[in-house]
Amino acid sequence: MTLVEIRGLSKQFKKGDEVIKPVHELDLDIELGDFVSLMGPSGTGKSTLLNLISGIDKPNAGTIHVEGIEITRLSRGQLADWRAANLGYIFQTHNLVPVLSAYENVELPTLLLRLSAAERRRRVELALEAVGLTDRAGHYPRQLSGGQEQRVGIARAIVANPKVIVADEPTGSLDSETSQQIQVLLQRLNREFNMTMVMVTHDPDVAKLASRRLRMVGGRLRVED
Amino acid sequence: MFPFAPYVLKSLSRHRARTLLTISGTAVAIFAFCMVEAVQQGLKRLTSDEDAKRTLIVFQENRFCPTSSRLPEDYARAIAKLPGVNSVMPVQVWTNNCRASLDIIVFNGAPPDQLRTARNLKLLSGTWEQFAAKRDGAIIGQSVANRRGLKAGSQFTIGEISVNVVGIFTSPIPSEENLIFTSLAFLQLSRGMEAAGLVTQHEVFLNRGADPGTVASNIDSILKTGPVATTTRPKGAFQTSTLSDLVDLIGFAHWLGYASVGLILSLVATTMFMSVHDRMKEHAVLQVLGMRPSRVFQIVLAESVILCAIGGCAGTLISLLLLSWGGLAIGAEGVTIAFRPSVYLACSSIAVSIGIGIIAGIVPAIQTARVEIVGVLRDS
Repeated sequence: MTLVEIRGLSKQFKKGDEVIKPVHELDLDIELGDFVSLMGPSGTGKSTLLNLISGIDKPNAGTIHVEGIEITRLSRGQLADWRAANLGYIFQTHNLVPVLSAYENVELPTLLLRLSAAERRRRVELALEAVGLTDRAGHYPRQLSGGQEQRVGIARAIVANPKVIVADEPTGSLDSETSQQIQVLLQRLNREFNMTMVMVTHDPDVAKLASRRLRMVGGRLRVED
Repeated sequence: MFPFAPYVLKSLSRHRARTLLTISGTAVAIFAFCMVEAVQQGLKRLTSDEDAKRTLIVFQENRFCPTSSRLPEDYARAIAKLPGVNSVMPVQVWTNNCRASLDIIVFNGAPPDQLRTARNLKLLSGTWEQFAAKRDGAIIGQSVANRRGLKAGSQFTIGEISVNVVGIFTSPIPSEENLIFTSLAFLQLSRGMEAAGLVTQHEVFLNRGADPGTVASNIDSILKTGPVATTTRPKGAFQTSTLSDLVDLIGFAHWLGYASVGLILSLVATTMFMSVHDRMKEHAVLQVLGMRPSRVFQIVLAESVILCAIGGCAGTLISLLLLSWGGLAIGAEGVTIAFRPSVYLACSSIAVSIGIGIIAGIVPAIQTARVEIVGVLRDS
């Protein structure tokens, strides 16, 4: 079943007199449960594509359908609602809210949904358990290691049971050992919970986790061997 | 909004020093605003309440200071016969300071029996009988008593006047609580007054339905042929005229109130701009997680309103306590303006604080809600 359907997607912007086209007439289908990695040199449009799929950026042309909903036509407020219910975003630099504990950070997305307090608690506990951080629930970001912070970020991305998880270089700021742990975690989430993932990475080893490896070239995608 | 209350509160406590400074600055400015408003309200009460409209003051013509107005005491009999007049109370006034003063002492000498019926005074200690029986007895307004630490049984001397305090009173007219009442005869015959048979003014209480303007002109016209000509005005107009220089000052002070409001506005707006500038990325992340721009707007606005409301409540509370306990008053020419706490004062100050919070937070809240998510995440 096709979960994400991208057709003729283009994004361009001006830099001085030059028009840059990081995404150009791009087509892509992502199936339910797929784990897609996007590779390519810096500035080739990987993150731009991720932002377009996330609905935090608007294309100049083309459409993105996610489970039948054309998100490219939604307003900013509607996109926010759509993201709250359907999208999990894993940042490279965690981007946790410093004044909130790990538990409260993970709870944030659930506050945007119509859930009872008990259901919120259940989901947060499950998400923290899934990333192995139940014992760090009360800790604040400054009290956590880089790897733990990223795991909290992952728990926050999965807590609302999103249809798609996008990850922008999730291991980019971690040491190799911690990176390895995060890779295992992402793979487990995809395999055990059948979560659909789209991940940008520079690291070929990390890209190998994915079931489909794509490379951005000239604003379009090419299947990586 | 409610689920995000912990986030809002924790965001405020993140920069504790900045938050505390903003709150304390707001509290100080609202305190100043409250005090200015208390003066405005005191003046308004003095010049426009029912007593000010329905009581006439007969004063010597072309005289403005109580020490210079000397009317025959028996004018009261002639005035009492006029249509529309209910009763007349001759009053001898003595004050320690004719100019504006924050600790003005004003003696009013009046016949005790008349005083008891004409004024709605409630004795907190002592009795009317004690007051009438004791030649140098005085009943003292609660504000003066608090300010000077006086109680029943105390002796109080100022200038050449020395009285025994027989009671403390309260009055529904706050400015009256700054007065000291003695018997008329005592004050007339006090050393230095040389006022036997003379009074400073006559207070004329009108019948229901009587027109103050008509009665006033009737009084002046029948006394025109007497030994001393008079000017009669409603008490409110008399007090406004007596306090005219103070009224101008108080009018000017109104601008200080507005300045306080402006000060809070710039203070809180600066804090909010700094705060949202520091957290632009955080707010962008919240929107990536699915928070609507309108919700982000509400969160920023809530922070601004909370800062102002806490500071406003603190400033209001401090000023109300000071106004309650301090018995503050300003006066000139024997007329005093009392600064009193009131529910209206408390509500208006808190409402002003919240209003400022909303105005100060609107622009930062709009900026945050309209932030370009990708740009902010990329730049950071």
